[in-house]
Formats: sequence, C-alpha cells, structure tokens
Amino acid sequence: MTTTTLAEATMPGAEAEAEADQLREVLEHYWEHDWTDGLPVVPVTEGYLARFLATVERDPEEILFTITHLNRHLTVRLAAINAAMAGCRPEYFPVVLAAWEAIAKEPHPARGIWQSTTGTAPFLVVNGPVRGEIGLNSQGNIFGSGFRANATIGRAIRLGLINAFGLHPHKLDQATQGTPAKYSACIAENEEQSPWAPLHTDYGFDASESVVTAYVIRSVMHIEARHTMDPEQLALDFVDTIRRTGSLIHEYTSALLVLVPEHADVFASAGWSKDDLRNFIFEHATRPRSELVAVGKDALSHKTRWRLSSDHPDSMPDTAAASDTPDTVRVLSHPTSIQIMVAGANNAGVSAVVEVFTLNPPRVQPFSYSRIGAAGH
Amino acid sequence: MDSTLSPRPVSLRGLTIGLLDNTKPNATMLLEEIAKELQEHHGAGEARLYTKEYFGTPVAERLLEQIVDECDIVITAVGDCGSCSAATVADGIMFERAGVPTVSITSDSFLMSGQAMATVQGFPGFDFYAVQHPVASLSADEIRERALTALPEVLRILGVEG
Repeated sequence: MTTTTLAEATMPGAEAEAEADQLREVLEHYWEHDWTDGLPVVPVTEGYLARFLATVERDPEEILFTITHLNRHLTVRLAAINAAMAGCRPEYFPVVLAAWEAIAKEPHPARGIWQSTTGTAPFLVVNGPVRGEIGLNSQGNIFGSGFRANATIGRAIRLGLINAFGLHPHKLDQATQGTPAKYSACIAENEEQSPWAPLHTDYGFDASESVVTAYVIRSVMHIEARHTMDPEQLALDFVDTIRRTGSLIHEYTSALLVLVPEHADVFASAGWSKDDLRNFIFEHATRPRSELVAVGKDALSHKTRWRLSSDHPDSMPDTAAASDTPDTVRVLSHPTSIQIMVAGANNAGVSAVVEVFTLNPPRVQPFSYSRIGAAGH
Repeated sequence: MDSTLSPRPVSLRGLTIGLLDNTKPNATMLLEEIAKELQEHHGAGEARLYTKEYFGTPVAERLLEQIVDECDIVITAVGDCGSCSAATVADGIMFERAGVPTVSITSDSFLMSGQAMATVQGFPGFDFYAVQHPVASLSADEIRERALTALPEVLRILGVEG
C-alpha cells in the first residue's frame, strides 16, 4: 500500500498535466468546429462509429433527410456520428434512425422551418417494447432531465441539424427565442398506466411494434387540474390553453395533449374514448370574434393568411367570417388537430398541452411516424 | 459556383420590372411602391407582379424561367423571417445567374441569415438590401417611407445612377 501526502494529491505532476491537456484538446476540438449545442460532446472514432452502424441493416450512405434549398443531406452515417456525439448508446441508434425517417415525412422541416423566427423544435414520442429495452422514461419528470435514452436520442437530432445542415443559431437558424426543447425533446408513452390503447395503435400498428412519432412543436404548457373528477370541467381547462390567441399565427392551431394517468382515468372512467375527448375539445375550442378584435387578430393577410387586424392594409376576412356563425371563430380545423397520449407519474393532476406548429393549410394529422427497425430503401 | 453578377443596365428606361412577392404581409405594397418610383422618376417600363408559392424556400424553377423570360430586372421582397430571408437571397442569386439584375430585399434583422445563405449558394458577399425592421406591422404610409428610403440602394445594386 502506498501513502500520498495531501500536497502530492493536489499538486498535479507532469503526467497529470499532460493528461488534462489531452482531454481538453479533444473536448475543445468540437467546440472550435461549432460541432456542439453548447454542451460537451462525446468524441467519435471510426471504431466507435462502427458499433452504431452495426445496430441497423442499412447502407451508411443512404440518405435519410434532405433540405434541398440548403444543398445538404443527412445520411445514415451522419445520423450515427451525431447520435454517438450526443451520448447515445449504440443500441439507441435504431430509434434515432426511425426518428429521422419520421422527421423527413414532416412537411415543415424540409421547407426551412428550423431557420424560422418562430423557433420550433423537433419533438419525439416513442411507443412500444423498445421503451423498456433501452430504458426510456415515461413515468415522472418526462420533460425534465435524468434519463440517458430520452436525453441523448433527442439531442442526437439537434446535433444532426447543427452539423449536417448547418443550422447554427444567429446564422441560418434565426429563431427569435427558440425553446428549451431545442436541446432535446424525446418522451415515451406511459402505456402501462394508460386506460386507452397506445398512441401508435391509433395509426394501425400492433402494440408489440415500436414506433417513433415526430412533431414540430413550440411550447409545452402545463395544466394544473387537481380539483375535479368531472370530465367536462377537466376538458374545458385544457380548451382554455389550446385556444389562447398567442399561439395563432394562422387561422388554426393544433396540440398534443400529454395526459397524466390520473387525468386520463377521469375521462376513461366516465366512458370517454380518445375520440370523445378530441371531439369535445374541437367543439369548444372557439373564440368570440370580439376577443380576436381585442388582440388585433380578427382577419387574415391576403397571401400568407397570417392572422392580423382587419385595420391592417393587407387584411381580408377569415374563414369564419363567411360561415353561418361569423362571430364564433374556431381555432382548430379538424378534431384530429388534437392528439392524445398518456405520460408522466401517476401522482397528481398535472398534464401538459404541447403546441404543434401549424402553418397554412392546416393538416388533418399534424405529425409523422416511422417504425423502429424497418428495412431500408 | 458562379459568383459574378449579371451585366448591369445603363438606365432603367423602358425596362420591364419583375416584382416577386414572397407572400409576406406588406410585401406587395412595398414592391409596388418601389416600382412606382422607378417608373415615375427613372423611366422604367411595365411592372409585373409574381407571387411565390411558399416564402420559406427558393422560387420554383418554372416561375423563375417565366420571370427571366418576361422581365429585364427583378425586385423581390420581403425576407423578414428566418427561412424567407435566406430564400429571398437565394432567389436573387438564382436570377443573377440567369442573367437578370436583381435586388433582394430582406429586413435588417436578418443580415446574418441572408449572408449565410449566400455562402451556402456559393456566392459569398452577394449584395442585397436590408430594409429597416419591421415591415409586416406597418401602415400604408410607413411602407411608402420604407420604399423611398430603399430607392438609392435599389438603384445602386442595379448599377443605375440615381
């Protein structure tokens, strides 16, 4: 046994100095090249990369996502490099790959939405057995920190956007404020404590399959509702947030309701299906025209159809103005503008409304998905 | 990639002006006010208004070809957001490469994204006009003022004496 004096322990020798220099050199290399989201990244070698590529049966040069007007593509290899840098374990990579496939099906990302001032973020929902296999958190602190699979899968997307597409803030990424979700946003459904069938079975998948759903989101707003067991009261509490005027760029908005098990049970116990809930919300998510006048959003611009005041030089009437009830303005275009899932701890009535970005024209289904482990093209 | 400007006209007399509206609020009015000035004080000919399908991406090839075919100079506006500032600059570069002198108008909050896009398109240093932000929320009188302020820069980029 050797003994070390306090002085020896705190005064690094030449070897320790060299080691520290080496470590810093590797870490700083990534910052110097702007290859990070601001946090340190994991250094990646060809050998380390090979372990990620070995988890999928795909050609490393296969293109997963293209932004044509930036002349840039994301290949399987680039997706794997960024997943490794983000801190993923190799076995997370099939989820990351499916996430990119889902994102590639979304209309807005390929059209430059991540250069936009609105400052939206990719937002992933994972369903199926893969959640347990790789340790994705679905119960408690789902939007918070602490779980490697959630944290690094979401971050793999952000790093890919920065490094493969050059979407650096202050440059091509002109987000006015952005959102914390731009660091990482990947949640899993709490299927085990949901009274309803899992989200991916809504699209026709079997519950035994694993699926990633991709959304383009802006805000995640929490709903404090520990006060009621009445499904209509609870649904109206959600409606109040969904129909807020601040979310209205165009005529309509969309949202993903992330219900905690307790809230889902309020609806399910009263016999409400997910469709019953979305239909109720659709019918009630309206505003009197006077409230839109009050905030100067009672008309549309001619070409972009953005909401603005009827006093604006570029204004024209909105869709509701030509309807039978011109003074009642719907903020949802379809009942499916409301998507519903269950996640979070079963310990309080605190759910969330995730606002899904909605350009014109509104989409019937405001999301895209991809099965994990699907064969390549 | 080609980073030379198209040949500049000596004067605007009789030239057809293509106005490419990217659909952002007040873009049409800003473009029409500038065209009116060019017609009244610089002898420019007819002004034709074209509308982009989507502001966030560059102009579609078919529309680009039509404008190149029908116009002598182009003014495009208004890049007052993240994606559309970059797209407006990309449009200007595409018209220049097709031989048509073009003024891309972004708002001055988006110089960085316009410049980043010029680099992506292989034309670093591409000259465009950055109008004072904001544009979308302005009244008709304020848009007219923005147009008058823009005029010397529009003429400079087109290579025409003011």
